[in-house]
Amino acid sequence: MRNFDYYLPSTTSEAQDVLKKVKGARAKAGGTDLMGLLKDRLTAPDSVVSLDNVGELTGIKERDGGVWIGATTTIATVAANKTVHRGGEAVAEAAARTGTPLIRNRATVGGNLCQRPRCWYFRHPDYPCSKKGGETCYAQEGENKYHAIFDNVTCNIIHPSNLAPALWAHDAKIHVLGANGKTRDIGIDEFWVLPEEDMSKETVLEDGDLVTGVTYTPGGRSSGSAYVEVREKQSYDWALTNAAARIDLSGSRVKDVRLVISAVAPVPMRREDAEAVLKGKAFSEDLAWKAGEAAVADATPLRDNKYKVRLLKATVAHTLIAAAQRAKGGK
Amino acid sequence: MSEHVTATYRVNSEGRTIAHPAHHTLLEVLREACGLTGTKHGCELGECGTCTVLIDGEPQLSCLVLAREVEGAAIDTVEGLEGRDLHPLQKTFADLGAAQCGYCTPGILMAAKALIERKPTPTRADVCEALSGNLCRCTGYIKIIEAVEWAAALCRGESGARPADASLYGVCKEKPHG
Ligand SMILES: Cc1cc2nc3c(=O)[nH]c(=O)nc-3n(C[C@H](O)[C@H](O)[C@H](O)COP(=O)(O)OP(=O)(O)OC[C@H]3O[C@@H](n4cnc5c(N)ncnc54)[C@H](O)[C@@H]3O)c2cc1C
Repeated sequence: MRNFDYYLPSTTSEAQDVLKKVKGARAKAGGTDLMGLLKDRLTAPDSVVSLDNVGELTGIKERDGGVWIGATTTIATVAANKTVHRGGEAVAEAAARTGTPLIRNRATVGGNLCQRPRCWYFRHPDYPCSKKGGETCYAQEGENKYHAIFDNVTCNIIHPSNLAPALWAHDAKIHVLGANGKTRDIGIDEFWVLPEEDMSKETVLEDGDLVTGVTYTPGGRSSGSAYVEVREKQSYDWALTNAAARIDLSGSRVKDVRLVISAVAPVPMRREDAEAVLKGKAFSEDLAWKAGEAAVADATPLRDNKYKVRLLKATVAHTLIAAAQRAKGGK
Repeated sequence: MSEHVTATYRVNSEGRTIAHPAHHTLLEVLREACGLTGTKHGCELGECGTCTVLIDGEPQLSCLVLAREVEGAAIDTVEGLEGRDLHPLQKTFADLGAAQCGYCTPGILMAAKALIERKPTPTRADVCEALSGNLCRCTGYIKIIEAVEWAAALCRGESGARPADASLYGVCKEKPHG
């Protein structure tokens, strides 16, 4: 790992000041992703700005009908929080299934949304892949068991964050403090960047932008949400496929629904076509499987990941069934 | 760019003032500057758990923490586990043969210590969950899990709680050391 100048500010405005003034300065929260990138020399900033001492970026609060989670709140804190469990079931489940207890004790919500992809070609220092400015996506013809089954033309990474689909199912907004000192809210549906749009990054954040927190909309009385992931190992593993859903019922009729799938494309994807299968109809397991079918209809799997199509269909069905169960009061 | 920093760390309740390269991890500082080589270098990426130490009582990966971020925090490593006697976890791991090569053991002991302190009567599921970030490539996990459960019982003052001898390594009738 290369040495760097290190800043340890204690307020958001001090942190933002460094990010603004020091060219190429990089924010660091828990470091569970950044340290790996630094060690493998996938990034080598001259300056690192630790958010460790910025207390105002930590916490979980109910605010104007939403639930605000500060950017540096640890994932372990989210997984254990009562407010999140009540009305944000998908978020709590996604947090509890992230990495290992050792990771969750340090990893933060802001870092989770801004982490870089885990494609083994991208992470390997010896592969000059297209994501790193090279010419080739090695996964296209190479070992692509864990790669994308949608939007997989120029680059086959899959989106790595568990929290992203769960927060999206709850219509989250991401709060950003820009290098110009202005704050802005970015809808989570507008936060992601496809490789075709910009190969060098995965989010719309610009240099110097600081995520200060996220606010999601918790479900009400006749609403339920769920996050389901499928992985190879029972304990600690990345998701092969995952999905998050929120369902609002009126009696047994689906009044509103959000379905977001992930780990299957370079960005998390809301599937309105699958939502449409359910909307306005009486919820049934059969319908949930039909929605699963709709969610995979346009998949374009690679040589080694065709299995993900069937897996995703089941993941979607199980997620919708779990969310509907909770909406019916079986929380 | 400052090449070295001087910082004071609280390791196993002892203050240590150390000059070290500014970008060093807690793991590097513990092993290289403090000479505390009980904490092991593993994957360096947070996947194996062998570098686990306690930071303010919480198990964390010392390979992913910059040392200067834990200045002032209470850092506990495997070297601090033994008091006047072996810690119950050390006794039960030794007695049950819950280690083979031993490389993962320091990290597992620290993760287990945090669990027992947080939850004196852990279920089997609690133990598995607490240790799910610590990989062992030799033993399989049965002896490790049993050793943690037994140590928890000893910490609660229940002396007769030795697990049934379903051991892969034969029967061991003695009580734990000491
Ligand atoms: C072994 C292992 C298993 C894992 N398993 C999973 C899993 O199953 N599911 C999952 O979702 N994740 C998983 N992860 C990833 C982990 O969740 C992320 O590394 C973590 O959430 C990142 O948070 P952090 O606080 O450590 O971020 P850091 O490493 O500090 O930062 C990550 C990136 O985000 C940027 N950043 C951080 N905070 C901010 C901010 N406030 N504003 C702007 N930019 C910021 C940094 O500049 C950096 O580029 C795993 C990681 C490991 C090592």
